[in-house]
Amino acid sequence: MNDTVEVEKPAKKKGKWTRRAFIGAGVAAGGALVVGVAVRPGNPVDSLKDIVAGGQGEELINSWVKIGADNVITAIVPHCEMGQGANSTIAQMLADEMDADWEKVRVMDAPADGNYVSKDALRVFAAPGFKGGETMEPTYDGLFTQISKLAGGYVTGGSSSVRSTGQNGMRIAGAAAKEMLVAAAAAEWSVPAAEITTDKSMLAHAKSGKSEPFAKFAAAAATQELPRAPKLKTSKEYKLMGRPMQRTDIPAKVNGTANFGIDGAPEGQALKYAAVKAAPIVGSRVKSMDAATAKGMPGVLQILNMGDFVAVVADGYWQAQQALNSIKTSYEKTDIDALNSNKMFANFGKALDEAGDDGGDSKASEGDVLGVMEGAAKKVEAEYRVPFLAHATMEPMNCTAWVRDGKCDIWTGTQVPLWARSAAAEGAGVGDDDVTMHSAFLGGGFGRRLEPDYVTQAARVAKATGYPVKLIWSREEDTAHDHYRPADISRFKGGLDKEGKLTSWNNVHCSTDEPAESPLVEFYDIPNVSVRNAEVEWPLKLGAWRSVGHSQHGFFVESFVDEAAHAAGKDPVEFRRELLAKSPRHLNVLNGAAKMAGWGSELPEGHGRGIALVRSFNSIVAEVAEVDMTKGMPRVTKVFCCVDAGFAMNPDGLSAQMESGIVYGLTAALYDEITLKDGAVQQSNFHDYRMMRMDDAPDIAVQIINGAPDNLGGAGEPGLPPAAPALANAIFAASGKRIRELPIAKHFA
Amino acid sequence: MRNIALPVLLAASVGLVSCGSAPEEPIEQIIVSEPGGAAAGVKQAAATAPAADDLVSQGKAAFAVCAACHSIEAGAAAGPGPNLNGVIGRKAGTAEGFGFTDAMKASGVTWTEAELDSFMTDPAAKVAGTSMTAGAVNDPEARKAITAYLASLTQ
Amino acid sequence: MTKFQVNGKPVELDMDPATPILWAVREQLEMTGTKFGCGIAQCGACTMHLDGKPIRSCSTPLSQAEGKSITTIEGIAPEDGTLSKVQQAWISEQVPQCGYCQSGQIMSATALLKTNPKPSDEQINSAMAGNVCRCGMYGRIRKAIKVAAGIEESSTQETAA
Repeated sequence: MNDTVEVEKPAKKKGKWTRRAFIGAGVAAGGALVVGVAVRPGNPVDSLKDIVAGGQGEELINSWVKIGADNVITAIVPHCEMGQGANSTIAQMLADEMDADWEKVRVMDAPADGNYVSKDALRVFAAPGFKGGETMEPTYDGLFTQISKLAGGYVTGGSSSVRSTGQNGMRIAGAAAKEMLVAAAAAEWSVPAAEITTDKSMLAHAKSGKSEPFAKFAAAAATQELPRAPKLKTSKEYKLMGRPMQRTDIPAKVNGTANFGIDGAPEGQALKYAAVKAAPIVGSRVKSMDAATAKGMPGVLQILNMGDFVAVVADGYWQAQQALNSIKTSYEKTDIDALNSNKMFANFGKALDEAGDDGGDSKASEGDVLGVMEGAAKKVEAEYRVPFLAHATMEPMNCTAWVRDGKCDIWTGTQVPLWARSAAAEGAGVGDDDVTMHSAFLGGGFGRRLEPDYVTQAARVAKATGYPVKLIWSREEDTAHDHYRPADISRFKGGLDKEGKLTSWNNVHCSTDEPAESPLVEFYDIPNVSVRNAEVEWPLKLGAWRSVGHSQHGFFVESFVDEAAHAAGKDPVEFRRELLAKSPRHLNVLNGAAKMAGWGSELPEGHGRGIALVRSFNSIVAEVAEVDMTKGMPRVTKVFCCVDAGFAMNPDGLSAQMESGIVYGLTAALYDEITLKDGAVQQSNFHDYRMMRMDDAPDIAVQIINGAPDNLGGAGEPGLPPAAPALANAIFAASGKRIRELPIAKHFA
Repeated sequence: MRNIALPVLLAASVGLVSCGSAPEEPIEQIIVSEPGGAAAGVKQAAATAPAADDLVSQGKAAFAVCAACHSIEAGAAAGPGPNLNGVIGRKAGTAEGFGFTDAMKASGVTWTEAELDSFMTDPAAKVAGTSMTAGAVNDPEARKAITAYLASLTQ
Repeated sequence: MTKFQVNGKPVELDMDPATPILWAVREQLEMTGTKFGCGIAQCGACTMHLDGKPIRSCSTPLSQAEGKSITTIEGIAPEDGTLSKVQQAWISEQVPQCGYCQSGQIMSATALLKTNPKPSDEQINSAMAGNVCRCGMYGRIRKAIKVAAGIEESSTQETAA
């Protein structure tokens, strides 16, 4: 490998990256595998020092870890904290590799600066099947560099933080940092590096009795050559990894001091507040605005028709919202003014009719599906349907912006700080580098905060008015102007042989598939498979919704497998066991969930159990739901969840994510749909877009299998996809009623 | 019009290609108060009358708590809760234009001032399964005033 | 002019008495621990105590606070710098995820335990049904309430950084 070839830096052209440093972002053998960051002095580390090393006597030894004069180690984490607890877990991984004193480890958000582009996060997010390592293909490298440049990287999504940044970046950074500290101490003490031991942020040399804190050698370590292949701990050597450490962000979240986007403000400046109302139909524009009443209302400062939305800026948010409510607007016509949900689904049906048994865009093709189906002993057919869904984060979209003197400051919660920065730059009419981003906790992300539309709005309003403006969407605005989980229809035909074995699988659906493996069933041993998708038009903006395509396909696939099991006259667990004969990890997870639930044991009359298994984001999750049908509307009483995420870095954190994904999934399965009438979204707030509450939430038990310690899976999303099909299958078991369309509540009104 | 669900990252990067175009300026901008002028302060609504002495007026003011969900003008559309105009004397779960829970429909309650007072004290205790999960009015004086106000609208 | 107490301190606010207490406290008093979620008393993120009883401050006008005492999340801990039992249990059970709803959850739970020191599961469910947690931490919230009430043992997590 040539060390001197220069490669363009991902985000901006300032500074030069050597090929080793850049490839070091992905290849262990070529140097440290530190994600998207140069890791040795002389590279962008120097420019980062100004930003990150704020305190006296602090030395930035690489872009991931900072050691202060007080021996406090700060993990600089390029992901946002939106509840998943990943930043804390990543710090735990760093601290373990460094042999750091956990009591003195802190976590800090990376600044929204191009130097923190997490190329590896992009890789895991966009191409989950890709394995990094020594033989990185130039084409992949080229592709991801390109995406990094365009997209600005620094993404929190795809359940990728721990398994990409943590596993492929932070651990190696930690190990490298430790080796550099050891090398510096060895030089100072004139002893062999191999004789130096590390523990609790201390370096020691037993023979000479020397012992000093890491901080003592921070400066000297920064001048050391980066280890080409820092040695990582094996799972047996873990001290912190694999333990249920308390999260570092929680104390601030119990006393009101946690700083969310909505709490941000420029110091010493009187904020003004903006309420906004966007044109109700995608693509429509404000034709006229009658603000006669609003003008005279208390506190109102400015009223703006921005073309795509109307805004009122006032002394207080409530005043702004009241004034906004009084404004009468009319909108220009669009070609979807007459569209409603039924018409849209009819269009989807037509597209699927056209695709038929072998048309559309092929996603997977094995064997002879049509021929084997023809000769099947028994055929099973079903069509499933799911609606659009909103994210409904607890914290509505909001952004505070202040534009003055060609500069823009923003305070907001976002999953993509670099895109948000560009979005603000666009709105404020300044360059990306003129935007200062003040990061904050996210009051929920779930994919919604991958879209910085609200940031652009705030910058535009701030620029037009000259005020520092806190722009907050009402809940109604948040519900009606989301980037929605796509609605979809999925059709299946399955063929069973004489032994009741599934020998052919033919599926066609509408949604494009993100991630690509979401509709695929390669872990099931089915010899003839065809999976296709038919192109359709969507009348709403689409976005990533927790677990993305798995949220639909998990329901479709696992409902259909259940129907096939019943058609074969087999127990749904037994039927899946046969299909998983060649997938031992999946089988373990299935068996784990079945055992937890006491599968097969008696339940009271009117109660039922259902099982579902989905692999997503490189984790395998099976869930058994128990349902009580005796009171009319189904009530989920218990969910048993078995998860194999490779290795649980923080078992309590993984468990919490499973619990969270299950409730999020059940909420959607039971209650929610976004529907269209006359081209616009009908739902507005929690009374018509219902949330699961404590009195209808099930008891949840989680069991963890560490099935592949070196092949980590995600946590934030994989708990969700099995929840809906497990519940639907339980309803069938309890009542004989097969749910093929979500939400479930509409079948029990 | 089309909106294709490209892989999220690519979709977003395509969006960024348009970066650099001039941001859209306001089409209409009504400036009520100039920035940098005298501090606007917090203005008091001119129409706000001092606290009324009679119970119905107090109830009208206290009803602001309820107004986020309940309309009160005769014939106004229901919001998250039913229209409360004429609620006194009405059988629970029968107001038009609102999707009541089975629990409310089956409650057998006919709304009197006393029944409303008891419902507002603890909605879930009075009608288990009601969708009014957050409507409790803790202050007995406020409840009394609100029911008086509602009763005044029952003609 | 509305006069009332917030966390034991007297305040006077010269603003429209129809303004919801939430915005008066967040914007005028600059206490941002209480959150805005829905604006129609459906989610509980804005829960405060008015004379000790839980209210949804997004839908309660300032006029209702006249002469009364408001407690917010910032005023729930003892003055000696420790945390309340409810707050401690929230940490030991690792309840919060995104954390946005938790000020409201803690205020509702605190009010419940004040009137009912040993609540049943049913009573907990009923008292907490007005508080939405989009991260779905209901099991942990229920457990934490029982830990705070001394009904159940705390989970033993390792120490925080």
